[in-house]
Amino acid sequence: MAVDARAVSSTPAATRPRRERDQELLVWPDLVFIEFIAATVFLLLFVILSTLLDAPLLNQANLDITPNPSKAAWYLVALQELLLHMHPALGGVIAPTFALIIIGAFPYVDRSNEGQGAWFSTENAIKITLFSAAFASILTVALILYDQGRHVNVVTSIAQEFDKDWRWPGKLSAFQNVRAIQTGWEWSIPVPESAQLGPGEHDGELNWPDDFTHVPMPFNGTSGPDWMRWGPPSFLPGWLQALYWYDLNMNTPAFVVELFIPVAVMVTLPVIMILMLMRLGWVKNIRDGSIGIFTGMMTVYFILTIIGAGFRGAGQDLVLPWDVPHID
Amino acid sequence: MAVSEQPPGPGVAGWLSDKLFNNYIWRSIFRSGYPNTPRNQMLVVATNVFLHLHPTRLHKTHVRITHTYCLGGLTFFFFLVLTVTGVMLMFYYVPAADRAFQDVAALETNIRFGMLMRNLHRWMAHGMVISVFLHMMRVFYTGSYKPPREFNWLVGVILLTLTLALSFTGYLLPWDQLSIWAVTVGMNMAGTVPVMGEQSRFILLGGFEVGDAALIRFYTLHVIGLPLLAAIFMAVHFWRIRRDGGLARPL
Ligand code: HEM
Repeated sequence: MAVDARAVSSTPAATRPRRERDQELLVWPDLVFIEFIAATVFLLLFVILSTLLDAPLLNQANLDITPNPSKAAWYLVALQELLLHMHPALGGVIAPTFALIIIGAFPYVDRSNEGQGAWFSTENAIKITLFSAAFASILTVALILYDQGRHVNVVTSIAQEFDKDWRWPGKLSAFQNVRAIQTGWEWSIPVPESAQLGPGEHDGELNWPDDFTHVPMPFNGTSGPDWMRWGPPSFLPGWLQALYWYDLNMNTPAFVVELFIPVAVMVTLPVIMILMLMRLGWVKNIRDGSIGIFTGMMTVYFILTIIGAGFRGAGQDLVLPWDVPHID
Repeated sequence: MAVSEQPPGPGVAGWLSDKLFNNYIWRSIFRSGYPNTPRNQMLVVATNVFLHLHPTRLHKTHVRITHTYCLGGLTFFFFLVLTVTGVMLMFYYVPAADRAFQDVAALETNIRFGMLMRNLHRWMAHGMVISVFLHMMRVFYTGSYKPPREFNWLVGVILLTLTLALSFTGYLLPWDQLSIWAVTVGMNMAGTVPVMGEQSRFILLGGFEVGDAALIRFYTLHVIGLPLLAAIFMAVHFWRIRRDGGLARPL
């Protein structure tokens, strides 16, 4: 069957500006000249840099001696920083994969043809860029400081100026950092004796975190009434067995700390930012929104890289750049 | 018949350039004369395989440095120089756990210009990662991913991933404490992926920890697998720029 070539090229996706011959230059010499100069300048710069500064070479690789801190290459340090605040699979793989997918999706979401080929072409583009860069950097730094419990140190040292014995109040123990929700926070509520809450002793109370660390997943085959109990799915091929959550009990406190809160933060903060920008009347179309999201993502990556590379010392503690140990 | 001849200019210079650029051998190689007339300037771009990556003409705004900041071109330039310095390093480097470190150390002590090659390779690799990020940002903020360039943006995202992968695999090769621990940290991230994590980590390392098998795998990916893929995707990237009507500009 014959395909009409024009049918392909006249779809809206392929609209392109008219050619204006009188506005055009010849590639030789106008472009080739610039390329030649740029190549020469950068080659020279890098030759000079390379004579002045040697690439590092530490001691021979040895898996028995772990340097402290051991860091990933600088462009992966941002992910390493995320690992400190969430489940490793989320920070190291899932979040970055989603980031790449979101970046790849921009042209498929922002489909309008307008405003291409010129810097910051929408009315508020620059304002949006600056706002989202500021929003993202302030919140990233704030979240990291919070998760390191820096607010506890600050509040404590101020309060101790007035009262030497001041301690972080027990009621706020869940707010020392994110992990404290799982480890530093205990509460219990009475439950009637008759309610049967899973296996184990019934002490008349429901205790956080202990009673929540083995919550059976539905249809995990080992909990619930008799008809919901069955043997391991050994008839499945091995990799499918690994997929099926047989006998899986959820560690709810860990789930909240490592997955739920980080995902909630990573989803809601961008949404709040876009809503704020819309409230300000700056975001008027999808392109504007995309600028906000893209800028936010780039900024977070940038800030995480700076903190991970320059402010993480031994044991990945938050320290000042000159206290980061020199590894050799 | 071949390209129209130009009358030789006056004086010795004219005579000399006529002899140099209008003789049989020159013509057999370049087909057109020296590109000093508009006609020859177009022919030189259209008939040369390397220059043919370009169109013959381009819009005025696109030669302005402040439009592209040359960033895509610089990334490509870094890639080319990295290939040259990389080949030179390959002459001296054997990817075996008991030799690799000595080979790299010997670049400094035993091999003339060895350190220059290694430094150029290292710093340009960093340069390429930086310039590819900046290039992506310039394309984004100029709205140049908009139709019909959606797919080329995707090709770009693949190139970004390949650039990072090239850099990551190269990081292991000096086989010092920096390399092995950076890669261990990186691979442990891969190991945490649900369901497939342990397997993919095992496949990449050829074992449970970073050792000889990992070194040869990273080396092979670094010197042939990934560069080949990157070159293929760059070819697609450049081809699509031309197919999509050159660089984006306002409607
Ligand atoms: C190895 C990596 C890359 C190389 C060598 C490369 C090279 C180039 C070159 C030489 C251009 C011509 C204009 C310019 O210099 O800005 C270009 C344009 C373009 N690049 Fe890349 N690029 C790479 C990565 C990327 C990435 C990561 C993206 C985006 C995610 C991207 C998206 C684009 C798009 C959409 C254009 C068309 C721009 C326009 O029409 O104005 N490229 N690239």
